[in-house]
Amino acid sequence: MRARNWLAVLAAAAVALLVPPLLSAGQGDESGDISGLRVMVPNTPGGGYDVTARTAAKVMEDAKINTAPEVFNLPGAGGTVGLGRLVNERGNGKLVMSMGLGVVGSVYTNKSPASLTDTTPIVKLLEEPNIVVVSRNSPYRTFDQLLADWRKNPGGIPVGGGSSPGGPDHLAPMLMADAAGINPQQVNYISYDGGGELLASVLGGKVDFGVSGLGEYRDQIEAGELRVLAVTSRERVPAVDAPTLTELGVDMEFTNWRGIVAPPDIPDADRQRLITLFTKMRNSPQWREALVRNGWTDAFASGDRFGDFLRAENQQVARILGRLGLA
Amino acid sequence: MSDSTRTEQSSARDWLRRHSELGICVLLLAMGVLVLTDTFSMSVEFTQRGPVGPRTVPLVVGCALILVAVLLARDVLRGGRGEAEGGEDIDLSAPSDWRTVLLLSAAFLANAALIDVIGFPLSSAIMFWGAAFALGSRNYTRDPLIAVALSTITYVGFDTLLGVPLPGGPLMGVL
Amino acid sequence: MDSLNLLLDGFGAAITPANLLFAAIGVVLGTAIGVLPGIGPAMAVALLLPVTYGLDPTGSFIMFAGIYYGGMFGGAITSILLNTPGESAAVVTAIEGHPMAKKGRGAQALAASAIGNFIGALAGTILLVLLAPTIANLAVDIGAQDYFAVMLLAFIAVTSVLGSSRLRGFASLLIGLTLGLIGLDQLTGQQRLTFGSLELADGVDVVIVAVALFAVGESLWVAAHLRRTKDKPIPVGTPWLGKSDLRRSWRPWLRGPVIGFPFGSIPAGGAEIPTFLSYAAEKRLAKHDEFGKGAIEGVAGPEATASASASGTLTTMLTLGLPTTATAAVMLAAFQQFGIQPGPLLFERESALVWTLIASLFIGTVLLLVLNLPLAPIWAKLLRIPRPYLYAGILFFASVGAYAVGGDITDLLLLFVIGLIGFGMRRYGLPILPAVIGVILGPSAELQMRRALQISDGDLIGLVNSPFAITVYAVVALILLWPLIRKLVGNRTKEHAA
Repeated sequence: MRARNWLAVLAAAAVALLVPPLLSAGQGDESGDISGLRVMVPNTPGGGYDVTARTAAKVMEDAKINTAPEVFNLPGAGGTVGLGRLVNERGNGKLVMSMGLGVVGSVYTNKSPASLTDTTPIVKLLEEPNIVVVSRNSPYRTFDQLLADWRKNPGGIPVGGGSSPGGPDHLAPMLMADAAGINPQQVNYISYDGGGELLASVLGGKVDFGVSGLGEYRDQIEAGELRVLAVTSRERVPAVDAPTLTELGVDMEFTNWRGIVAPPDIPDADRQRLITLFTKMRNSPQWREALVRNGWTDAFASGDRFGDFLRAENQQVARILGRLGLA
Repeated sequence: MSDSTRTEQSSARDWLRRHSELGICVLLLAMGVLVLTDTFSMSVEFTQRGPVGPRTVPLVVGCALILVAVLLARDVLRGGRGEAEGGEDIDLSAPSDWRTVLLLSAAFLANAALIDVIGFPLSSAIMFWGAAFALGSRNYTRDPLIAVALSTITYVGFDTLLGVPLPGGPLMGVL
Repeated sequence: MDSLNLLLDGFGAAITPANLLFAAIGVVLGTAIGVLPGIGPAMAVALLLPVTYGLDPTGSFIMFAGIYYGGMFGGAITSILLNTPGESAAVVTAIEGHPMAKKGRGAQALAASAIGNFIGALAGTILLVLLAPTIANLAVDIGAQDYFAVMLLAFIAVTSVLGSSRLRGFASLLIGLTLGLIGLDQLTGQQRLTFGSLELADGVDVVIVAVALFAVGESLWVAAHLRRTKDKPIPVGTPWLGKSDLRRSWRPWLRGPVIGFPFGSIPAGGAEIPTFLSYAAEKRLAKHDEFGKGAIEGVAGPEATASASASGTLTTMLTLGLPTTATAAVMLAAFQQFGIQPGPLLFERESALVWTLIASLFIGTVLLLVLNLPLAPIWAKLLRIPRPYLYAGILFFASVGAYAVGGDITDLLLLFVIGLIGFGMRRYGLPILPAVIGVILGPSAELQMRRALQISDGDLIGLVNSPFAITVYAVVALILLWPLIRKLVGNRTKEHAA
């Protein structure tokens, strides 16, 4: 009787210990293919990084570049929980994280111990200009009218954005105010839970203007329900009839961007393979289609160039958040 | 130790036992103090606009916690009693069985401690078996097998089929 | 009646044997995954999205509708059977659903939930067809001050669940409000009660709180007072809804959509607050005072509310392109995979596809009912397993749910600590529900109040400067003054009422 008990315990332990490695061993290596690659998404399903990662995974499969990597979500604290995990996976060449400007700001607002400069930059994939929008019924027809009122009474002109403090929609109006000679601390920024909630309050005239990514609002702009007063990118955006801020005399440009980073200290060969993989993915016709479909602007930079870019962004974000008392 | 101190001690213990609900008051009070301390350590230099800032609601909640703690203490000292929750599986006539509670907690916490070390399947199986054991199941052959079947199937479902990663254990990558 | 014709065309495109099969597969998969701990409908849809890639748009919509409804219902199954809500919309269901299951009325609870889901989704989808443009226009007029007014109304409703001792009820509510404070303040980015932990920066998920207080707390409490008498399995009574069940349920089923749909369609509505309001309303209206011990009204109402609220969410998303919940955001991503951009132009641009989708929703909800109603008694038999396995399974389930998604031990510890609080609350007669409501209501009430004040740049008038808010405050005043009014008018027989 006792022997049977011990046998059961032993068998149980053996099953528990052996099944997982045996299952994962089944997915053997194939040449040229990065097998078992996993893409971490540091925010919830349906968010920007999630859509980017899942689209990239699908493109890799459709264009037969690689078997689709496994995409998984690890949301929390504006992406810094995922960042912390990534930094802990030192040397793991089979894990990457989909991220963007929002994570840069969250590192400061959440006082995250892990920093983006710890990661291995792989590629920057895309950019998305921010837009200054008002509803169809808004009294503001041009950015200059808005700016005049904003300068007069910054507190009385609530500006809405779809990100929490430190995120892109928050940074953009702050930088804009700064460049226009308004003290960023005076800006009455109202944070909404994502572009959807913000859209309702812009349409309903609850805030005087909204700052958001272009992609989410293309349809409303086309339908004439939203009026774009300015775009924050360096150049005008083809589909949108609005001037850039620089044209309007506000010396500032700002674009949200997304890219891929890997854990720190991964072997050079792994880094090179990841860069090649994502470069191939980006060059595929399927990715180009996806860019158009989602309203993203191609903004490719790989390896060290992306690394330099990351450092510059990090400094700019730190500077503005420092002035706001958030970093 | 003299007899009188012993009776004093036991009567004090009796009193505490009858008024053990004061523990809830202490908990509420501690929470209130914690909330208020946290609130006052928050910097609001730049961030507050208008009359209601990030500190207002915590301030109200913190004070309310302390107030309710005091009122509840008064109620308990005047003989008020919270009625323990009954249920189908609950026998309130029996005294609290702390051994079972501790065993169950140990099983749960063991899982938290071990899951990243020995992997999800084994660690969760230990928790399941431990919990079943704590609650009186004594079939040493069937229990571990059920536990492992449950945890391994869950592992396969999450990690392999759905792609939600779970730790596989120390042998990952060795085999 | 133009939309009716379009809808019929949609049905024409959707009803083929192959599509019905896809719908059935979707419902089964959705339910199966929705049942898994920690995976709510948003995750279920995200995880199963790749399955639909290979199909043509119509086929994948159909399957997708099935997954969606299946995922929602899956969350309710665990709420009822294991006291472990799978998603926030099913939290309220556990309050009456689990006691019902414990009494051997699990099949009835599941059936009430399935039919409630069906009626809610059906009514919601019909309202979607009829009212989509109107609703969309109304939705954007709801501002922060209006939300805050509604939250105050909900707080009034909390008083009806405080239990026999008001003081202990308040203590419980405050525990919930305190838990709700944890996290980064959304408006200013200040850390509150996070103690520097990143894991706490997003606050404590209401599902974690509910699972900890309900499932872990109950397991510990049962451990302390386990009935040592003969271990008789939980009875599984008659598998079907009896006449009296139906008599008690049909009104809550119909009332649910009235509460749920409008809430779902406003941008910050969601399902938590309407399900709770439905619960509070049913409790007040019920003739049987079985609440807290397994009242079928408390399952039927909230479940119909939850699914109608999901339809409301869908309405706003399709017509405005507004994803207001995580699930809606995932669905938005799903539509974009097919080149569909929801928004004001959708109905003109992709008319055929949209009506096919709406027809798919009808089919999905019918199939969910057809497949799950017969399964209810089988699910309920799960509870026949011996008590030690049942509670071990509940703990297992709760901890998988907390751990799987984040992969973080902090969540397990949080589960345990809040579970201990739940244990203490049970021991000393603090009702559990107010704490859960505090976690749900507290953060959003604070957010909306401060947002309203910020928009008015600190002027208190910002809280009352809309007709909607004023109306709601009038209702609040009426409810508060009602006992007084009745006393003044008081010509009727004395009643024993709150």
